[in-house]
Amino acid sequence: MAEEFNTEGMLDMYLFENEQLLEQLQEMVLEQKDSDCFDEDSINEIFRTMHTIKGSSGIMMFDNITAISHKLEDVFFYLRESHPDNVPHLELVEHVLTVEDFISGEMDKIRNGDSPDGEPAEIIAELDKFLDKIKSGSAKEGEQEEPIPQNVHVEPKHFYIAPVASSASRFYKIYITFFPDTEMANVHAYKTVYALKEVAEDLLYSPEDIISDPDSAQVIIKDGFRILLQSQSNEEEIRNLIGVGYDIEAVDVYECKAEEFLQGFDFGEHELKIDLESSVEDIEAKVKAAIDESKAEEKAPEKPKMAPGDFVIKSKEPGKKKQLAKDKPKGEKASFISVNVSKMDQLMDLIGELVISESVVLQNPDLKVPGLNLTNFNKAAAQMSKISTDLQNVIMSMRMVPLTNIFQKMNRIVFDVSRKLGKDIDFEMIGEHTEVDKNIIEHISDPLMHLVRNAVDHGIETKEEREESGKPDKGKITLSARTEAGKVWISVADNGKGLDREKILAKAKKQELLTEGKPESAYSDKEVFQFITLPGFSTNEQVTEYSGRGVGMDVVVQNIQSIGGVLDIESKTGFGTTMSLKIPLTLAIIDGIVMETGNSSFVMETGVIKQFFSVKENMMIHEPNGEEYVMIRGDCYPVIRLGKWYGLEDYRTSVEEGMMLILEVENRTICLFVDKLIGKQEIVVKPIPSYIKKVKGLSGCTQLGDGSIALILDPGGLVE
Amino acid sequence: MEETKELRRQTQDSRDVSDERDPQKGKYMTFKSGNEYFGLQIQYVNEIIGFQAITAIPETEDYIKGLINLRGKIIPVIDVRLRFRQEPFEYNDRTCIIVINVKSTVVGLIVEKIAEVVEIKEENILPPPSIGRADKVQNKYVYGIGKVGDSVKLLLDPDKLLNDSDMSVIEQANDMVIEEE
Repeated sequence: MAEEFNTEGMLDMYLFENEQLLEQLQEMVLEQKDSDCFDEDSINEIFRTMHTIKGSSGIMMFDNITAISHKLEDVFFYLRESHPDNVPHLELVEHVLTVEDFISGEMDKIRNGDSPDGEPAEIIAELDKFLDKIKSGSAKEGEQEEPIPQNVHVEPKHFYIAPVASSASRFYKIYITFFPDTEMANVHAYKTVYALKEVAEDLLYSPEDIISDPDSAQVIIKDGFRILLQSQSNEEEIRNLIGVGYDIEAVDVYECKAEEFLQGFDFGEHELKIDLESSVEDIEAKVKAAIDESKAEEKAPEKPKMAPGDFVIKSKEPGKKKQLAKDKPKGEKASFISVNVSKMDQLMDLIGELVISESVVLQNPDLKVPGLNLTNFNKAAAQMSKISTDLQNVIMSMRMVPLTNIFQKMNRIVFDVSRKLGKDIDFEMIGEHTEVDKNIIEHISDPLMHLVRNAVDHGIETKEEREESGKPDKGKITLSARTEAGKVWISVADNGKGLDREKILAKAKKQELLTEGKPESAYSDKEVFQFITLPGFSTNEQVTEYSGRGVGMDVVVQNIQSIGGVLDIESKTGFGTTMSLKIPLTLAIIDGIVMETGNSSFVMETGVIKQFFSVKENMMIHEPNGEEYVMIRGDCYPVIRLGKWYGLEDYRTSVEEGMMLILEVENRTICLFVDKLIGKQEIVVKPIPSYIKKVKGLSGCTQLGDGSIALILDPGGLVE
Repeated sequence: MEETKELRRQTQDSRDVSDERDPQKGKYMTFKSGNEYFGLQIQYVNEIIGFQAITAIPETEDYIKGLINLRGKIIPVIDVRLRFRQEPFEYNDRTCIIVINVKSTVVGLIVEKIAEVVEIKEENILPPPSIGRADKVQNKYVYGIGKVGDSVKLLLDPDKLLNDSDMSVIEQANDMVIEEE
């Protein structure tokens, strides 16, 4: 059993790596879902990804993942070798996504400590069917155009089609001899090949099957290892790359001409393995005239399977520039390490503490002694403050992650849902690189998913409806993100039918949500649209798989509010709806107003405070039951006295001595009475230790500049 | 019945702890609260800090005095005397806060005076006597009585000290007994 080895570290690694692979895979697949087929690089990439997952799952003994990834690998192997023309692309995309879903599902199980027990047989059967279909389909076509190799493993790769070489390219023949007693010469040879890939524009070697065929080691030792290389590098650089290991006896590098290069290995002997069986015509059709025809008559046994993970040499579409030997450089990839979040939090705590002790030092009373010359001290102090500010900024930026992943997830949802509903939808993403605090991302995933689903399901009309209203039959959903004034705006816009004001009003009336005596026309569009965020409110007549149950928008709003965000709805009948989430950049730091009541400091998030007000005693209305109201400019608001609410000591009782805060929370306005305001401050939010039971109206605590602790008020809790 | 079971469990607990082979074994941090000296197994103690300003939290039990800022980490502090239902005392410069870590909950204990670290051998630890109803209240937190020379230290179970969920059941049981009488 796997448990006999210590697989824990391996398991983490396995999950982490495969998760990333799958994410990349999905991103790539979705990127190309609208094109006619996958391009060469993606096919290779998907193939390679599946191969890696298969390999690592095999080691971890997750047989079902191994089986399914193997099957998909097979499909892509066929694709990349045979280039069938008539692959139903969307179907293929779906197959890839199904497999991806299956594997992520299994990985979730593994992560939760369950055994991955999903049954891949069904998906595998589907894939088999699909593979058969594209195979038979391409065979049919092949009769008319070109014969397709019957065996997927056949690849006429010795016949090399010249890439468009830049003039500076040089061609080399490299001949490496290993010491006769070298163990696993094939692996050493592969190492060399791998090193050369770095500089190679094209690369060909013999024997080829050095990874999969252990016997090749003997061949290499006996006959040496031959490489044909096209590269910009000079001979010396190449020699350096190959290096001289203890196992390499000699390295010979000859520069040769392009023609010679195109001939492949003309080391002369018949042992040369050239694949011809597939079909001479086929090859001739593709091979350039430069290829020596006599060679085409040589017979050679069929090639064994190509080493997985290797490159493919294309035989199709000669003349088109291809990067053959080299893996496509995947952009400038930054290198990452993953760090435990708790370590980051610790670091942040420490930096916060550093800043406070810094102010303790710099404002130390000892410095206030008259007659001190502090010029140098002040200079050093200024420098130190600068560094600590930088330090703070860096740690904050470390917590920020781009929205890319979450946006990709939405892409997937649009794809799935629109396919199921038979709607044709363009999905556009703008600003997916916008960075948001990691904690926030976790909170917005579900709400966003809901909004996107809504947009697809009942934002965008059916094809027929669109035609009727004279719109282009392709719907469009735009997911965009931007930062503005310390907040992130994420909006989901569709160009569908928009919200129906009348329908919503009618429904609101039915549910008795309208204020009595207020005419319907007095409601602004915004007010009307806010109705749909109430629990149990759905105007969709039919409950579909995706939406319409009336649970949803209220949950979205709740989730958003829990992280201090708001949902903004704009809609124009017939032209579409835009739902915007306005959320804070980070949960860790908020803008707050610090105030004092009794002997305690409190902080209130700036966003909910509408006004500060000094009230006169005659503005107060006292009810016999102790409740109080305040009349401000003709409006009457309920009053909460913070000191009384929490039973504090020594708080000011006369309203004229204290300060009234007018808060707007969840569409209600209340007044909070506090002793005095201290000021506005950016505060670092910390949770109240879990040992202390949750206190209504408190959402956290924070450290003030002087090291003392203030409690953060949760306006939502005060309203309840 | 309930009680004897509880007692048995407690002694079991103390045996389990003492079975561990570590250098801190058998060492107790002792402190004074009221007229008694109490002992806490030293492996629970993170550090001892001087008294500092406490931010009160409304609507909590009276023995939870509030929050302190321990180098950027905000931790709750509880007053041991109030926890033991003893008379409150005035904090002065001898007042200390013992920061303990029990099952990764970090809490500060406000105590009148720190005494010393003593070693108490297992054979010198007696199960708490259970005479008289009044003592029972204390016995909840005290799992044993350690003899050091002539004096005795009440050995505290820190887990019980912090979390009284299971104790309140006993308390309720006791109350019920009283009511029945």
